[in-house]
Amino acid sequence: MAQVMAQRFTGTPVKRAEDPRILTGRGRYVDDVTFPGMVHAAFVRSPLAHARVVSVDTSAAKAAPGVLAVYTGPEMEALIEPGPYGMAAMMNIWPPAHSLLATDKVRLVGDLVALVVAETRYLAEDAAELVEVEYDPLPAVMTAAQALDPESPLIFEDLGSNVLAGPKVTTYGDVDRVFARADRVVRATISQHRHQNVPMETRGAVVDYRKDSGEVEIWSANQGVALVATVLSARLGIPREKVRARAADVGGSFGLKIGAQREEVAIAAASRDLGRPVKWIEDRHEHLMAAGHAREETLEVEAAVTNDGDILGLKVGIVVDAGAYPGLGGMVTNIIEGMVPGPYKIDALSFSSTSVVTNKATYVAYRGPWAAETFVRERLVDLVARELGKDPLEIRRRNLARREDNRQMVTGRSLAGITAYESLEEVLGRIDLPAFRARQETARNEGRYLGFGVATYIEPAPGTRANGPLGAEQMRMELAEDGTVLVYTAQMPHGQSHETTLAQVVADNMGVPFEGVRILYGDSAVSPPGLTGGSRSATMAGGAALTTARLLRDKVLDVAAHLLEASRDDLRIENGSVLVAGVPARAMTLAEVVGALRQPGRLPEDVDTELKVENVYDGGTGGWSGGTHCAIVEVDLETGLVRIERYLVVEDCGEVINPAIVDGQIRGGVAQGIGAVLLERSAYDAEGNYLSSTFMDYLLPTSMEIPSIEVVHLEPVPLDPVVNFRGVGEGGMICTPAAVCNAIEDALAPFGVRVLEQHLPPARILELVGVIEPE
Amino acid sequence: MSDVVEVSFTVNGVARSVSVEPRKTLADVLREDLGLTGTHLGCEHGVCGACTVLVNGSSARSCLMLGVQAHGAEITTIEGLSVDGELNTLQQAMWESHGFQCGFCTPGFLMQITALLAEEPNPTEAQVREVLSGNLCRCTGYQTIVEGALRAAASARSATATVRGSDLAPKEPA
Ligand code: FES
Ligand code: FES
Repeated sequence: MAQVMAQRFTGTPVKRAEDPRILTGRGRYVDDVTFPGMVHAAFVRSPLAHARVVSVDTSAAKAAPGVLAVYTGPEMEALIEPGPYGMAAMMNIWPPAHSLLATDKVRLVGDLVALVVAETRYLAEDAAELVEVEYDPLPAVMTAAQALDPESPLIFEDLGSNVLAGPKVTTYGDVDRVFARADRVVRATISQHRHQNVPMETRGAVVDYRKDSGEVEIWSANQGVALVATVLSARLGIPREKVRARAADVGGSFGLKIGAQREEVAIAAASRDLGRPVKWIEDRHEHLMAAGHAREETLEVEAAVTNDGDILGLKVGIVVDAGAYPGLGGMVTNIIEGMVPGPYKIDALSFSSTSVVTNKATYVAYRGPWAAETFVRERLVDLVARELGKDPLEIRRRNLARREDNRQMVTGRSLAGITAYESLEEVLGRIDLPAFRARQETARNEGRYLGFGVATYIEPAPGTRANGPLGAEQMRMELAEDGTVLVYTAQMPHGQSHETTLAQVVADNMGVPFEGVRILYGDSAVSPPGLTGGSRSATMAGGAALTTARLLRDKVLDVAAHLLEASRDDLRIENGSVLVAGVPARAMTLAEVVGALRQPGRLPEDVDTELKVENVYDGGTGGWSGGTHCAIVEVDLETGLVRIERYLVVEDCGEVINPAIVDGQIRGGVAQGIGAVLLERSAYDAEGNYLSSTFMDYLLPTSMEIPSIEVVHLEPVPLDPVVNFRGVGEGGMICTPAAVCNAIEDALAPFGVRVLEQHLPPARILELVGVIEPE
Repeated sequence: MSDVVEVSFTVNGVARSVSVEPRKTLADVLREDLGLTGTHLGCEHGVCGACTVLVNGSSARSCLMLGVQAHGAEITTIEGLSVDGELNTLQQAMWESHGFQCGFCTPGFLMQITALLAEEPNPTEAQVREVLSGNLCRCTGYQTIVEGALRAAASARSATATVRGSDLAPKEPA
């Protein structure tokens, strides 16, 4: 139907439907879920990075007060079917084969060695301390270089080396020709450091296996119940229909909480073995040490450039430190490869990639997992500018593709609809750069160092149709007896506010009040399969909500035409009632429509009276999100501290459903990006001991470090005739590290500093300017 | 298993008695023995502030206190904030400001801000940021939480004084 809907809610900062429960302490996070007769689990974890397990003595633990069971690796293997867990299960990565709890060896500090189940968490932890494990230490493989050294011990014997994927080399365009044509080649080795998601709620699960029916119910903190159920069913060897995976409120994830992970399968196996519901809530120490880390990559890049500042082509070689167990580390390079040209007119690329295993925590997805492409490209643009003695903005202006260029990336992705260039111009329209440069000059003369940096990115959210489907989005909708629209979404919100945004879209397209929509999710027995992640929900779930609501509306109007004995074309739904044009007295509420259908004989036989719709939304034309970030910083050379004076984001995420929620997503991502550069690091020593397992060691940004963040939205460029919402979950985090590092390099330009890494805590700043000696 | 002791205190205005192990934290007593699961645990080592409650009117980290230490105290948790089922001024202000996202940090922030506003009904943004620097939020970047606190202060003032309108226009950052 081409009729234009009144947009009462879409585009406005509707107050969140989630908040009345969140603000009163009535949320239901996984640790709030209890079952009658529930018992508690604690894991025994490895204190060593790499070792053979010689023996595990559980006798003292088994005899401890309140203990129901203690499982060793071999005992656990007898209860499960071997195979991949978590994200590795989603991507079906196997081999490397490994056990759930350690059978032969441990592969990182925090690896799972034994599981204790007791009447209370306190007693389970007491008993875990009584498990005696004898280890035969092996040398730890702690760096990519060590992993690539054939002399190093193998972490997984069945891999035959410590290389998980690659080396793989792909070329796009005529690389040799553009490098031969170049006036010069700018080279750099740029790295991202290991840091991690750190949702404020750790992982956790409660599992209730029912011996009577053979059914299992799991409540866990996750981003999608379907994958939890699928993995649990496979690892427990029970039919998928007998697994019901659920979640209500989830306290953040940012890519981490995907599928049933090893711990969750272990407690499910224990629940089946014991016939009791078992709860495990990860503590922060376990979380920081072993839940998963992200982003440890080194990239060697070469840019073929002309003296005028044209970037003709790139050579990129990446090595990913994927940590111990299979996760995203072996696959992330494929996305980085496809995305590294970004919104730039780069005509040739050679990309080589290798992922290695090390004795560190598993590489997991973290908000824009492929963000290395933006970091390295946006750093490189500034490095090219410095080498040519030009302004980085000039290099960007010269090389950014414009919408009217109608280009595609040399890697094949269509760039239809990108607004990268416009976003850069918008930033520059809002910053008085000459005034800043004057202020910077004056400050330098006073020994104060200010810097200005920008970075530009695009994100396939979900990308154009030409880039391949992300997977379609299923949705079901029906009218409840009281006229409420029940919406069954595949999304599993964990901070994204889908109960609000999807209800806004449905309300407008159905013609009901915002309060007349209920968004239902998080129950594999009723929710369509899906996942919240990859910045897909605005387009995919938003689009599904829009199109499904219109289908349901059409069905209601078909039925109402009979009930009201009016022409369907004269009917519309407004504020929860069906109205007849020109005859206000003949209105019917949606509840009355549903009620009338229950009365036999009110409608002809051939009218479809099921006010239910099942729909699949394919993403339509799709499109890019993207934007430009700008940071103005001051670096204190006495303390090494970086203060962010101003942070501006110009963003294009298409049509905005709820500006307050969109801005919140952006600011949260920016805060994580700032934390990554200035504070956060998942640090190991050379032996593989984990050094950041408390919040005293792993520093998250606080209200003192994060400035107010200005967010400006570009006018959306419609690509699709119907749905032009685009994802915004990851962009803040993708673009920020480059903008901040570019600003810091600008501030430190008088010292000739080149920033080739992402982590710039005070000590590193002082090293870079020569105040202290590098370690 | 260690012996249990009887602990009595007032929680959200109601006198309660529980038998708990001496080693049990106040957070666990509130969550497990009293079913007040609004108080969250984000670190259990005193840094994140998610577990913040009021003990005799002052903010306290319930993961660092034992239940037995609260004997005789007056405790307020997030469940005690709303009045007759209605959101209080702070909760309303946070709702309007879109203060939170996943909500896991929320109880700690609300209790910390409650303590702040009781002591300083008219805080500056800098004061709010300083006081909230002991509470971690991973989702929001803090800006909307700070705005919510200032909005709550402003609406409490306009409710008690003759101030007209809100003096908290949505803030244009510097
Ligand atoms: S749980 Fe108490 S401060 Fe983090
Ligand atoms: S809203 Fe998620 S941690 Fe604060």
